[in-house]
Amino acid sequence: MSVRQTLVLRVNDAEREVRPALHDTLLTVLRDELQLTGAKRGCNHGVCGACTVLVDGRPVRACLTLAHTCRGAAITTIEGVTGIADRLRSAFEDANAVQCGFCTSAMVLVAAALVAERPGASIEEIRTGLSGNLCRCTGYRKIVDAVCAVAQGTGR
Amino acid sequence: MSVESLIGRSLPRLEVREKLTGRAQYTADLYRPGMLHGALVGSPHAHARIVSYDVRAARAAPGVRCVLTGDDFGDHRMGAFIKDEHAIAKGKVRYVGEPVVAIAAETEEQARAAALLVEVRYEELPAILTPEDALAPGAALVHEDLASYFKVFEAVCGGNVCSRTELAEGDLAQGWRESDLVVESEYRTPAQAHVSLEPCGALAEVDPAGRVTLWSANQSVFRIQASVCESLGLPMSRLRCLTPRVGAGFGNKMEAHIQPIVVQLALATGRPVKLILSREEDFEIVRTRHPFQIRVKTGVRNDGTFVAREVEVVADGGAYADDSPGVLGYSLLMARGPYRIPHTRCRGTLVYTNKLRAGAFRGFGNPQVSFATETQIDEIAARLGIDPVEIRRKNALGTDDRWFCGQRLGSIGLAECIAVAERESGWADRAKLASAPGKRRGLGFACTAHISGLLGTGAIVRLLEDGSVVLNTGAVDIGQGSDTVLTQICADALKIPLDRVSIASPDTDGSPYNWGTTASRVTYTTGRAVFAAAREVERQIKTHAAELLECAESDLELRPGGVVGIKGVPGKELPFVAISARAHWRKGGPIIGTNSWVFDQPTFDPKRAVAIGLPFPQIGVYSFGALCVEVEVDEITGKVDARRAWTVADVGRAINRASVEGQLEGAFAQGLGFALVEEVVWDGPRLANPTLMDYKVPTTLEVPYELHAHIVESPDPDGPFGAKGVGEIGINVVAAAVANAVAAATGVRLRQLPMTPERVLRGVLASQPGG
Amino acid sequence: MSALKQVHFPKTPEEAARLLARGDGVRCLAGGASLVAMMNLDLVDPDELVSLAEVAELKGIASLPDGGLRIGAMTRHRELETEARLAGPFAVLREAAGKVANPPVRNMGTIGGVVALADPAADYPSALVAADAVIELASERGRRRVPAREFFVGLYATALAPAEIVSAILLPPAAAGVGLYDKLARVAGDHAIVSVALAVTRRPRGDLGVGLAIGGCGLTPVHRAEADVLLAAGALGDAAARRAGELLAAAADPLNDVRASADYRRLAIPRMVTRAVARAREELGRLG
Repeated sequence: MSVRQTLVLRVNDAEREVRPALHDTLLTVLRDELQLTGAKRGCNHGVCGACTVLVDGRPVRACLTLAHTCRGAAITTIEGVTGIADRLRSAFEDANAVQCGFCTSAMVLVAAALVAERPGASIEEIRTGLSGNLCRCTGYRKIVDAVCAVAQGTGR
Repeated sequence: MSVESLIGRSLPRLEVREKLTGRAQYTADLYRPGMLHGALVGSPHAHARIVSYDVRAARAAPGVRCVLTGDDFGDHRMGAFIKDEHAIAKGKVRYVGEPVVAIAAETEEQARAAALLVEVRYEELPAILTPEDALAPGAALVHEDLASYFKVFEAVCGGNVCSRTELAEGDLAQGWRESDLVVESEYRTPAQAHVSLEPCGALAEVDPAGRVTLWSANQSVFRIQASVCESLGLPMSRLRCLTPRVGAGFGNKMEAHIQPIVVQLALATGRPVKLILSREEDFEIVRTRHPFQIRVKTGVRNDGTFVAREVEVVADGGAYADDSPGVLGYSLLMARGPYRIPHTRCRGTLVYTNKLRAGAFRGFGNPQVSFATETQIDEIAARLGIDPVEIRRKNALGTDDRWFCGQRLGSIGLAECIAVAERESGWADRAKLASAPGKRRGLGFACTAHISGLLGTGAIVRLLEDGSVVLNTGAVDIGQGSDTVLTQICADALKIPLDRVSIASPDTDGSPYNWGTTASRVTYTTGRAVFAAAREVERQIKTHAAELLECAESDLELRPGGVVGIKGVPGKELPFVAISARAHWRKGGPIIGTNSWVFDQPTFDPKRAVAIGLPFPQIGVYSFGALCVEVEVDEITGKVDARRAWTVADVGRAINRASVEGQLEGAFAQGLGFALVEEVVWDGPRLANPTLMDYKVPTTLEVPYELHAHIVESPDPDGPFGAKGVGEIGINVVAAAVANAVAAATGVRLRQLPMTPERVLRGVLASQPGG
Repeated sequence: MSALKQVHFPKTPEEAARLLARGDGVRCLAGGASLVAMMNLDLVDPDELVSLAEVAELKGIASLPDGGLRIGAMTRHRELETEARLAGPFAVLREAAGKVANPPVRNMGTIGGVVALADPAADYPSALVAADAVIELASERGRRRVPAREFFVGLYATALAPAEIVSAILLPPAAAGVGLYDKLARVAGDHAIVSVALAVTRRPRGDLGVGLAIGGCGLTPVHRAEADVLLAAGALGDAAARRAGELLAAAADPLNDVRASADYRRLAIPRMVTRAVARAREELGRLG
């Protein structure tokens, strides 16, 4: 049997006790133990980006992060992110930047970190910053526009 | 109360907040009490007889509750066109990865671990890996019993030929005689993977009476219900199909994937069973776009008038027919393009091979043939010294023309699409495009058309006691936005605010039949049913109102905000709540408007054309489009970068402008992948790139930010508010326009996709003096 | 079923190395970007993991007294991508860092992890070889230094001994010069079809020191001292660049894979080298 160990994670500002297997990824724990299913499993090897969450404010792949290496870290998921993310939500809505929605949680989180780090980011910086998050529906234009509206303060 | 129409506005998706807060639930996000997890064992062979199974170790493994082999499934077959596919391999395997054993265990890890313990003995058969193998004399047969399979159309098949289709109009021999120039070339397009971000998955649960509820990632609850029941020999009344949010489809989720297996696991265990495919499995066992080999021969007059065309297609359908006969037939119907070519013959052969099945994929064969035909038009234009846009305009179908094989056109905005793309792209000034050192720029143009339509659809509009409305259509919103569009149509038709209409989730128990979210059809076909059902509600409202207000029904009008009143008499009116309360409690019964219809305009006019093996006797109405792409080619590496694009479509009427733009933009990106990078590669019988590390799709940095979607509105006489479909049209000629742009930039004409740096650079080097 | 039974969090490189000595099934876990992906795909199934996350010494980039840089093995790609001290010829490393996978993965992956894995398609190995960096290794026996040009010995094979970890990447004092990394890939974030890493140093006497290496075209970075000498002697001229490029193309042993054919890679190498050298020449000219 897989070895399980108790672990306290700080997720969305709350301490959560979980008991994952040693090889369980943060994505598995968020989804299967904490029912935070906003992070999606699209490929499980770090390419599609749909599982991206913030660890200590930085976007990382939850599918490539072992849960047991997250002790002490602050994890933020789409369910808990606020601040810039709320402005991004409005901008995504206004720009019609959401289609199927499977990439959306991660897009918002990556964009939130990007705008926090680089207020006033240019379109090229935004395109580069989002280049690790695949969207198969939108062609990205409206997503980039939504992030741009927040970065450059032209959104609502 | 606002009187602004809801039609044509860029309203946000109804469910957008749910998706932006992570609360949208897709199949993988569903958990049921006592739920088991499924896993599959795939075939290691492309073609083999199954001799025996040894599942003892797997059955004894920790947590395992059920192990099913082909022997546990009855001899029932499914298939949209030809019933050739069991729910799980039975007797034979026909492609590497084909599910042969299914396992349900307490955890996903246990199920996958047990899968490794299964032993299956095979007797290998010769693997048919190419159409040439398939058609060779004496080739091993992928389906020995093809002749006895049930077929839903007059399939011309035999040997490893799954179907043959031929469509013809005019007299080819005469056409060649009347041509001043004849150009003939061969083209190849690869298998493309859909790569919906959500992998396919399903969750099935059995109630105490033995009835099954199935949640799955799909494009049609009704197709899934039919396919599961067909392949398991269940009465359809025993299965209820539901759809949570769907993480896009693009054709991949239209027909069944693993739903029959998951249902069988649930029936066998009596427990809920969930199985979500890994990305690798999603690549290996679902379906792809068909690889095509295409020969196109076109005859023209010196003035650029198209005279004759001959097209021969060989499509590799893989191991099962799936939607392939439809794709083949449709591609041939599209192979004349939106042009007048009086003498045309298009023939195609669809072959079975021992590879993953090919099936529906956005464009449905149109992108493949259009790559060939729309690039050949540029070659012809160059040979004749005619502007590529001019030659298209000269031959473009007009209002009085018919589509290939004779169907009438209800509306046609092609000329305007061409004009918009030409104007917005600065086509006339393209010679002035400046290239950076080491780069070459060029513009490429192409035109297209696509149907929206097909088969049956229905809508139910119910007026609730308080005057609000529930709309129920059974159409699956796979992310493209149809829930919003249909709600806009319903609300506008009844002149009530959007938030007074709720749209029911598709449910085979309660929804009216809907063939599916495919064929760019939901806005057009379901929208039409919704509009008609809303009109029926209006009629019933007016019947009540006429009695209450003591006037003729014809004197009444709907007023904004859910009110019916007498025309020209402002005070004489009643709110819907008053009408609905009366209907519910006193007279007439609850107000329910329904509509159902099936698209019934013939594709083919026997007086004008010949059609053999045509899978779609009635197909749909036509949308039109034009596309201009600017590329930059790197002289050093041959890499092609799309810099700007102008994608234009005549959608009849845009119900939701932003959603229409979103369809055009997304289709462009997917087409750009097809044009430049995407190819499912087989290494012998196995996929060489079934991961997102090895199979790449465009990112933000490949899709140009300058991606401009433009809408042309040439209303369809029967469409809801004039609307036609838009889901697929934007992908059809991306590869062709990019190829034409590459040719404009470099002089190199590529006839094979994807246009990799290698193909471009070799072309450039070969065309250089001494190269 | 995973074999993983223990995850260790050592505090020093030596402790980490000692834990690695517990057996063949013990693997070192750096950022996780590669190892966890391989675990998810069932390509590796370690018995124990030694996480380097809490080894303070492995973090950060330090300026050395001699003017050189010591890049801790756990330095993430994102930090290197934005590191101003990676200037002059060492810009090759900064540019390479900015081309690794994609932004979120660059927040996770570490230079030590990439170096130790020695995936031939990775971006750092050719950049480190071009920059003539030195890899510092730690074990219970102490530290040792191996030039990057000797470190990468084969497919996923390095000069690392059993129970030894990569502790740092060392760069000599920065001199005036130019560094660049040109990556040809199918799409952003993919492994290179061909990458060209070039580091040019203008020495005090005015002559040039050149390091040129090719990535994605063999089991290890393709480097030939003769090519470096040719370029230096030829003052980064086009003729020298072409000859150097052809030399490396001949030395390369590329694969046919889903990214490109081996023939194409051999064709592209001299062309990309010529362009990279021309760019370096121009940038060097601008330095005055």
